[in-house]
Amino acid sequence: MGFFGEDKTLGITRQKRRYDLPLNRSAGANFLTLLIALMTFLALLALSASFALSAMTERWSAGLENRVTIEIPAETKNGTLLSREEVHALTNRVNSFLENHPTVKTTHILTDNEIGELVKPWLGEDMLLDKIPLPGLISMEIQDKEETTLDALQRKIQGFAPHARIDSHETWLKDLLRFTGALQFASALLTIVIGLITATAIAGAVRARLAVHHEEVQLLHLMGASDNYISRQFQRHSRILAFEGSVIGAAAGMLALLAIGWSAGEMEINLLPNFHLSHIQIATLALLPFIAALIATFTARKTVFHTLARMP
Amino acid sequence: MIRFEHVGLRYGIGPEVLSDISFTLEPGSFHFLSGPSGAGKTSLMRLMYLGRRPTRGLITMFDQNVNALKREQLSSIRQRIGVVFQDFRLLPHLSAFDNVALPLRIQGKPEKEIRNNVHELLEWAGLGEHMDSLPDTMSGGQQQRIAIARAVITRPRLLLADEPTGNLDDDIGLRLMNLFDQLNRMGTTILIATHNQQLMDKFNHERLILDNGHIQTEESKNWIRRKIEGVF
Ligand SMILES: Nc1ncnc2c1ncn2[C@@H]1O[C@H](COP(=O)(O)OP(=O)(O)O)[C@@H](O)[C@H]1O
Ligand SMILES: [Mg+2]
Repeated sequence: MGFFGEDKTLGITRQKRRYDLPLNRSAGANFLTLLIALMTFLALLALSASFALSAMTERWSAGLENRVTIEIPAETKNGTLLSREEVHALTNRVNSFLENHPTVKTTHILTDNEIGELVKPWLGEDMLLDKIPLPGLISMEIQDKEETTLDALQRKIQGFAPHARIDSHETWLKDLLRFTGALQFASALLTIVIGLITATAIAGAVRARLAVHHEEVQLLHLMGASDNYISRQFQRHSRILAFEGSVIGAAAGMLALLAIGWSAGEMEINLLPNFHLSHIQIATLALLPFIAALIATFTARKTVFHTLARMP
Repeated sequence: MIRFEHVGLRYGIGPEVLSDISFTLEPGSFHFLSGPSGAGKTSLMRLMYLGRRPTRGLITMFDQNVNALKREQLSSIRQRIGVVFQDFRLLPHLSAFDNVALPLRIQGKPEKEIRNNVHELLEWAGLGEHMDSLPDTMSGGQQQRIAIARAVITRPRLLLADEPTGNLDDDIGLRLMNLFDQLNRMGTTILIATHNQQLMDKFNHERLILDNGHIQTEESKNWIRRKIEGVF
């Protein structure tokens, strides 16, 4: 039905609906897009660092969980050095004792070459293994890593090898876990701060727009627009802007990750052993633009309602 | 029904620009609001479209006490009122079409209905060629017709027009007056502010006369005149 009550169909399809307020025409919008892109980029890096850290600690603690190392030092308490043969003999005795112990699952005596590999990073490539007194090392896997079990074991071993030490890696692992835990907390905090900065920027932009378009907003009110109607305009605008910015930032972040992964591979840095994200983690990162859009929508709505409530 | 009872309005700490205004507009009535420039016509309309609250007195719009309305209730009353502002207040970044479509969109009407109604009304108002033009590219008369089209597109229950024929040549002015008549016959209550004596004389509608913030009906004016004649 047309205005005068005649039925009339016009074959013209009109262009996509514009905003009632000229929200999409300002330099401020570009700035906000850029800011959100940057924030997403940072959030993506912080999150993937956190993912990598958790993968790393998991790997380390899994490898060490039931492992215990026994060291038979080459130097005795009173300072005399045992010969290499003596160390080997002592190590073999300890090993055969362990092999028959019920709580011990497997044992492995590290060869001098293996020990050499371990100390190489500290002492240099060209050191001469036979020039230094190497300790005997036994790596073993045990049923349970209870402190009482380890103490009992240690006492028994010390019966025939007085200087042998059991290293359960416990304190080292605890320190490591505390350290990576702190790093993860920091990156979580950073992500939250990034979210807050984004929300603050969006709120500021929305408030500025409302001030600039005060008269138009008032006119919409006079035509019977509810706060909700006006808010939806800002929500839509903020959502699209945040999503676009965030997609750009996330794409740049992914490229940066690829570059980091690639250069780490090139340099054979083993500090970050296979810096590699799972599908779920990649999916989580891909969610960032949607989360940004959500934050933007919510912030815009809160800001508009709050600001309009103070308008007549 | 619209009723003013002892309504007063002042802007800030200024003098009362409207004093002790009392009148009633019956549903479906057609009134002119006249009076010299600065008499308070625009201010009175501002009170009616809830653009301002009175500083004193009681206003009843569609049987609701305006003073007691909560913020959320304002929009439903305003949606029943069409306003032609004296200064048009078109949105400069929206085309003629989008300006006129705006009240329908605010009321959540379907796009197809909006398209049909807006096209038809703009064609009728002689603006069929200018649907996609921006207001700033159009003449004063054309802008005024857009403003009028925007005010009537929702078929409001109350139409307030503030000097709507000021910029229009007689032919189109008459045409728009006929549009108001047509709306009035369909039940819209109409109040047109004007100081165009010719226009008022051409149509036989009741007049509210504002002078210096006070309202006078035709009767009270005649009564004053008779009294004055009686004295001398
Ligand atoms: N927004 C305003 N702020 C202060 N004074 C105003 C405002 N609008 C109108 N006035 C004053 O109120 C009086 C009535 O003005 P107005 O309602 O515009 O009269 P009219 O429309 O009949 O010409 C005038 O003295 C004018 O200066
Ligand atoms: Mg006026």
